[in-house]
Amino acid sequence: MKAVVFDGVVLGLAFGLLGVGMTLVYGLGGVLNLAYGQIVVVGAIAISLLMDDGAPTALAAVVGVLAATALAVLLDLTLMRPVYRQEGEERTLLGLLLTLGAAFVVAGLLNWRYPTGALYINVAGDPVSILGVPMSRGSIWASAIALAVAALLLLFFGATTFGRGVRSVIQDEIGAQLVGINPSSVRTVIFAMSGALAGIVAITHSMSGPLTVTAGFELTVFALIVTVVGGLGSVAGAFLAGVLLGVVNALSVHYIGQYITSVILLGAAALTLLVRPRGLLGR
Amino acid sequence: MLEVVGLAAGYLGEKVVEDIDLEVETGEAVAIVGSNGAGKTTLFRAIAGLLPALEGRVVLDGRDLTRRPAYRRARAGIAYVPAERHLFPAMTVKTNLLLGAYPRRPDRETLELVYELFPRLKERLRQQAGTLSGGEQQMLAVARALVARPRLLLLDEPTTGLAPIVAQAAFEALQDLKRKGVTLLIAEQQVPLALSVADRGYVLENGRIRLQGTPAELERNPEVRRAYLGVA
Repeated sequence: MKAVVFDGVVLGLAFGLLGVGMTLVYGLGGVLNLAYGQIVVVGAIAISLLMDDGAPTALAAVVGVLAATALAVLLDLTLMRPVYRQEGEERTLLGLLLTLGAAFVVAGLLNWRYPTGALYINVAGDPVSILGVPMSRGSIWASAIALAVAALLLLFFGATTFGRGVRSVIQDEIGAQLVGINPSSVRTVIFAMSGALAGIVAITHSMSGPLTVTAGFELTVFALIVTVVGGLGSVAGAFLAGVLLGVVNALSVHYIGQYITSVILLGAAALTLLVRPRGLLGR
Repeated sequence: MLEVVGLAAGYLGEKVVEDIDLEVETGEAVAIVGSNGAGKTTLFRAIAGLLPALEGRVVLDGRDLTRRPAYRRARAGIAYVPAERHLFPAMTVKTNLLLGAYPRRPDRETLELVYELFPRLKERLRQQAGTLSGGEQQMLAVARALVARPRLLLLDEPTTGLAPIVAQAAFEALQDLKRKGVTLLIAEQQVPLALSVADRGYVLENGRIRLQGTPAELERNPEVRRAYLGVA
């Protein structure tokens, strides 16, 4: 039981990062990026190609994160421009349609070019005992990276001027303009950040098991669930929701079965929203 | 310092205000008075850059800002305090103030000045802006605009939603601001209050400037007396 919960936490931390990447973009401009899982996959495939060519893992990982970041920025500078010219519901709807289209295009290209593509980062070494549970080195590395990134993010948003600027755009876009903040450049930076997070998730996720070329849509769905449960636009909420849903996921895989897990996850999400309609930490 | 020349602005290409010519000199307090719907907010949004100018120009210190977006005009020194305030509700009073000087940090002197003007805010620095009373939110909106040390403060209906006694206090704070040398452009429906603080006033009706003059001249004008001062 304890081992299952720990596995869930490891998975949940990755979910949390995914949720943060999704929720930031949503919070800033009302766009749910349905191509988000595909950005993770692009990062993963870039890393695996470089590693196949014999590049050191660390170098491949950095390039993978950069590739995911570049793809996200490209999306922002092209597809998202007409989206942000709209307002309210039109913006949300156009954002959903265009990012869904991008998801299909990217998924199609990846499946065509790399039908058997997968990333598995094997961290050598014996399992380490944590509170009596043997944990693989990969899981420990993945969790440590996720926690470090989470800490950096919270510091960034809480204590830096630009971080406060980002939160101000989330809370009141007009107010932000009135104090001299350019929402459009803030959005580009945040898209880049969400891309970098996607690249990091590609790394952490593939440390405990292979991340295959077809994982994109599933990752997007996880990110969506985590975002909604955590409270749209809340960074801390996304992490909390990620960990909780990771544990629910691991428990249900272990005790009930793989096939019904997504139903259980959605059920847990629905239940949370019944109790707290704006999400765990939503306003 | 501020020159608005032949300005027209509105929504979906329909002009709400047009042929607006007005000027504000450094250190002056100028009031735009007019009834609800006269176009005061539209005019201010166009000066602040939240609404594009359909015609005419907005010039600050000789720089033509007409094609500049709102955030550039804010950095150029136009601080707009809209009637809806647009505070950051889930941030503390302190963070709202810090953001006022974005991307720099406000200097200590300016913060001290703001606390001196609004001691209530100093008592509530840790409180979330969204939980303040209406009057306190108005103070915070003005304070947030001031920490950027703007060249010009645009106040749209600073008394909106305030009880009469609080509105009176708000205008006393504006007197203070003016004595400290802040240049003010104020839109206000409550004409006597507005004229009490202004050096000059413009009367806006149906989107056009109908009259202008000193408070004394405007108060003597029979039309103004009938329409806005409630005397026959």
